[in-house]
Amino acid sequence: MSEPNVPQTPEVPEAPAGPYVYDYKAAPNRQITMPKTVPLPGYRTYLAEQKAATEADEAKWQKTLADFETAKAKAEAEGKDAPKPPVRPVPRKDDNDMKAPVPQEATDADLLKLQALLGDKVEEVFEQAGELVCQVKKEAILEALALCRDEADLKYEMLADQSATHYPAAKDFTCSVVYHLTSISRRKRLRLRILAPEGFMPESACPLYPSANWMEREIYDMLGIRFQNHPDMTRILCPEDWEGYPLRKDYPTVGWGQRDISFREDRGGMLERIALQKAGQLGINLKQPKAD
Amino acid sequence: MFKNEEMEINLGPQHPSTHGVLRVKLRLDGETVTHCRPMIGYLHRGVEKICENQSFFQGQVWTDRMDYCSAVANNLGWVEANEKLLGITVPRRAHYIRTLLNEFNRIASHLIWLGTHAMDIGALTVFLYAFREREDVLDINEAFCGSRLTTTAFRIGGLREDLPPGFEKLVHKFLAKFSSCLEEYENLLTENRIWKKRTVGVARLSAEDAIALGVTGPMLRAAGVAYDIRKAFPYAAYAEMDFEVPTRTEADTYARYQVRMAEMRQSARIIQQCMDGMPEGPVMAKLPKILRSEVNEVYHATESPKGEIGYYLVGEKGSLNPYRFHVRAPGFINLQSLPKMAEGGLIADVVAAIGSLDIVLGEIDR
Repeated sequence: MSEPNVPQTPEVPEAPAGPYVYDYKAAPNRQITMPKTVPLPGYRTYLAEQKAATEADEAKWQKTLADFETAKAKAEAEGKDAPKPPVRPVPRKDDNDMKAPVPQEATDADLLKLQALLGDKVEEVFEQAGELVCQVKKEAILEALALCRDEADLKYEMLADQSATHYPAAKDFTCSVVYHLTSISRRKRLRLRILAPEGFMPESACPLYPSANWMEREIYDMLGIRFQNHPDMTRILCPEDWEGYPLRKDYPTVGWGQRDISFREDRGGMLERIALQKAGQLGINLKQPKAD
Repeated sequence: MFKNEEMEINLGPQHPSTHGVLRVKLRLDGETVTHCRPMIGYLHRGVEKICENQSFFQGQVWTDRMDYCSAVANNLGWVEANEKLLGITVPRRAHYIRTLLNEFNRIASHLIWLGTHAMDIGALTVFLYAFREREDVLDINEAFCGSRLTTTAFRIGGLREDLPPGFEKLVHKFLAKFSSCLEEYENLLTENRIWKKRTVGVARLSAEDAIALGVTGPMLRAAGVAYDIRKAFPYAAYAEMDFEVPTRTEADTYARYQVRMAEMRQSARIIQQCMDGMPEGPVMAKLPKILRSEVNEVYHATESPKGEIGYYLVGEKGSLNPYRFHVRAPGFINLQSLPKMAEGGLIADVVAAIGSLDIVLGEIDR
């Protein structure tokens, strides 16, 4: 498990090297806001956060009490009326139908079984919002998948979905890869998760679940995670010569080719050329398309 | 045996039978397909990236535009995934109305499929009949939320408005004639010799292959696996509904046709039950003005007309928009099975296989 979600100090993002170079000072409205936290749910992180919050709350209360005691002593010494004793604030009750689900300790038989079988290859098991989550070591993912598929008590026949998330603020890893398994016969779902650092190539799930083929290609295309032993590790949605990985958090949502002028007004493309020049003055690297 | 020189041809991306901009690279030996490779991405708009940069409410309009034939089903998956992420309890009446509209959408989507699939294979008449009834379903959509195709029908936490006055009359009018309409389509196709020649035994996909390739929906049920998320993991008001999951064991194009026709009958049954047992009460949960998520990660799957549509959302603490938004598009996963179905068959049967997949490229490419 990584570091708990400590909010990190905001940094002014450096202009990244690559095709999408922005001068952030010159064009602040086109700045990429990088995430500052690592929203990776986990039971241990949640417990640590809760403990810290309770301790902070208690410390605050003790300080209020101490302040009251000194104020009281001071008032008595000066012969004034004693101040009102403080009332401990009760957490505000929200009068609505929204209650965020929190991570809970794993009690499901499947998770316990998986934990017993894999031993120390399991990094974390927990339940949240009625979903079973098992985080395994990144090298052991194929073993975990094989167990889930073949073990008689588990029998997760289908890999329903596979996806990945980019966490630029995390220290030990850059991406999480999640596998959503479905057991059709037992009507259960399970999520396996691994944390992959930059450059790590997870084992492909294709030999076990052929449905992983396109999903892994999509992950490669969108987030740049390559999979080992994949039969065809090529881009699937973007063209082969596309640069960058669009679903990474440092990928801009505004790029070259963003038009501010309507085609109707711009007969002959003169206005566009002027705009491109202006954009160049703003420091936006408007890369022209490659000539074939 | 005499062997021709192999020829490579492209089917699409602008071929009408590919239902959008699908390109299939085919290698042919005479008329037999020896190699098939679907190529997608011509309609990629970056829906996932856009939704990650918009608030929870704003993302919904993009789900309409992914699979524009089953917009209501996409909306339902999206709002339920968000409700799971934020921990919202939805009133029972809202669940019923959602179920009702979702089933209407299933009928509309299957009717489009029926019309276009039959047209691909050569039966042009069915298209006109199917679109006649689909028009009535779109009128019902319009009566409920004002738009016909890209509905944005629901809201996170319930519905924007209750059913309009006179809605019940519209529904009953539709239900009264729909079973006879289904019989009309079946008269045109079920025992039609040309239709059977083009579909029976064509593009087989066994249950083992389908499960291994992640294929869901009517494709899987036509192979004999009674896996319907409405039954397996009930959502909305489906736990209270009495309906059957139609299955066939032949696993060919004809079986998929039979499964979808039977599903439309079941949908009509569910609509009837929704209207009969519609509870009273509010249609919107009590929510704060601004929705902020906690650190959470959910995968919510629902049964869209095409198969399992799943939304994977990651929530950041105090954030207004999802940190990560991923769609498990049924068409995307189902299309993976095309080489398995097409290879070894005739080139004319590739069109039947694509039709029986019931794909919409807007959802595959996102």
